[in-house]
Amino acid sequence: MTHPLAWGGWLLTTLAALSLTRNPLYLTLILLSLALVSAAAHSSASGPMPPVSPLRLTLLVVPIAALFNAAFSHTGFTVLFRIPETIPIIGGRITLEALTFGALNGLVIGGFFAAFTVLNAVLPIRSLIRLVPRAFYPVALVISIAVTFVPTTLRQFQQIREAQAIRGHRVRRIRDWLPLFMPLLVGGLERALQLAEAMTARGFAGGDNQGRQAVYQTALVGGLAAVLAGWLLRLAWGWELPGAGLMLAGAGAVIGVVASAGRRTRHTVYRVERWSRRDALILAGAAMLLVVWLAPLPGIDRQSLAFTPYPRLQPPEFDALVGAAILGLAVPAMVIADNPIIDSRKSQG
Amino acid sequence: MQRQRLLSIAIYGLTSVIGGLAFIYPFLLPSIEAVGMGQAHSNDAPLLLTALVSLCFVALLFETQGQALGAKLIALLGVLVAINSVLRFVETAVPGPGGYSPIFFLIILVGYVYGGRMGFLMGALTLIVSALITGTVGPWLPYQMFTAGWIGLSAPLCHPVVRLFDGEGRRAEIVTLAIFAALWGLVYGAIMNLWFWPFFTSDPGQSWTPGIGIVEGVQRYATFYLVTSLQWDFMRSAGNVLLMLAVGAPAIRALRRFRRRFDFAYRPAPEPMPTGVVPDVAAGPRRAQ
Repeated sequence: MTHPLAWGGWLLTTLAALSLTRNPLYLTLILLSLALVSAAAHSSASGPMPPVSPLRLTLLVVPIAALFNAAFSHTGFTVLFRIPETIPIIGGRITLEALTFGALNGLVIGGFFAAFTVLNAVLPIRSLIRLVPRAFYPVALVISIAVTFVPTTLRQFQQIREAQAIRGHRVRRIRDWLPLFMPLLVGGLERALQLAEAMTARGFAGGDNQGRQAVYQTALVGGLAAVLAGWLLRLAWGWELPGAGLMLAGAGAVIGVVASAGRRTRHTVYRVERWSRRDALILAGAAMLLVVWLAPLPGIDRQSLAFTPYPRLQPPEFDALVGAAILGLAVPAMVIADNPIIDSRKSQG
Repeated sequence: MQRQRLLSIAIYGLTSVIGGLAFIYPFLLPSIEAVGMGQAHSNDAPLLLTALVSLCFVALLFETQGQALGAKLIALLGVLVAINSVLRFVETAVPGPGGYSPIFFLIILVGYVYGGRMGFLMGALTLIVSALITGTVGPWLPYQMFTAGWIGLSAPLCHPVVRLFDGEGRRAEIVTLAIFAALWGLVYGAIMNLWFWPFFTSDPGQSWTPGIGIVEGVQRYATFYLVTSLQWDFMRSAGNVLLMLAVGAPAIRALRRFRRRFDFAYRPAPEPMPTGVVPDVAAGPRRAQ
């Protein structure tokens, strides 16, 4: 199975790419890559299916965003038609530029949604929980308990509903939820009590970080204060470099606290997720995009990323290297297609 | 202990200030234009906003879970989060009107009865667990978790108001919580719009564009909110009030009763007594309520 961290790296890169450009050519390439990965991922479908398919959502969001933007934004030179000014808010020029800008934003939202549906499909819940950093093991434990108890709670809810229905109870007003909700709440709290007793009886205790709590708290306060100070330097006085440096140092302190607390947390793993060549390929594809788009390399026209349809719509520029780097996001499609575990799931399904 | 408490307050304060600033970053950007940095920052705004909100969330989560989330609280929180996730699951299957969601009133009650720490964790974890089981993990999730966490974290602020009216266990308590829930119904929507607002429109009257003052930025957002979101959020707000009035009082009684029941401690078993010695019956049972 593909390592969750590889998927995490791929997801972050995809989100960064979608945030960094409004160039329709690059956006189309990103969405095509996502469509390839999504098709491969959903054919395996180990996770819960999304309530709406990404394609359907994108087809819905793009025209809505375009129309919404055109109706409320009257900027741009290419006037398609006019709505009488007497109509408040939407009255004025309807421009091609506003339509285009709205559609591009719709594509970005659709891309975000598609990227996350891929993650939901390829990673089982236990792998997603395992992505929680080790320092947050109590939180991960709460999530595990909650996820485990959800089916039980749903069954209990159905049983309560049936029992109340036999007594002639019908839900007509909001107050009619009381006989359904209270047994659910009290029954759940009783189970929590039993679970707490069982956990304590089996020797569950807090972590080893209690002695270092004050150190961690001090580092967190220092880190957050540095982030705030750095940000204010950038915002209020325009001191870009010192501000960015302080922000990075502060963020580093917060991340350092989490990493240090994580190292002190002992844990055992039942299912070992090994790093494979496939995982390295996925990350290499993502890294390729980040390097080409962000690293100060010569011969790359990054201006083409910053496309805007305003004030007059112009054809977008295209840099072959920038465009080719996007294909790195499609690497998981090849990896999934070649994944024997997922193939075996498909044959069982 | 006093020092840890002060550090805790400092962490809550700093994360709230940074998180608040991150959410209103689009309003601040036009002013930055005045010092010549607006255009440069307008491109990195969504990324910076996500990074800062995530960083604050990590710090706040670490702090809230840090002080000994023992077996009792973990079990309690796990089951309460499961119940609330089921409520969201039911809502997904049978959607309510507008932005109505039955999850917020329990987050508020848990924060109010068990304290801000539990409230924060309840809010944040409800959102992530329900997203996991309904397959709706998305870019909105960190913002939802952070904002829902804020709801639970701020719920104990109702205590002084309730005490002012000497209303614990009375109608005034539920009315106070209902007003609090109504306000958060609207504020939650207003905050949650901000993560996509910079992406969505470019209308000079309603959208985020560099080059104007803070006041106009707020006016634009207010117009955008009134046109697109108020009706939706009003349903959430009204739903919160109705649920609080209908279910709040018995739910608070149940949560308080279980808070007392959870207040037990385990003591090591006494050493085996030599034969012929009469046991001290006043020592009490091993499990003390």
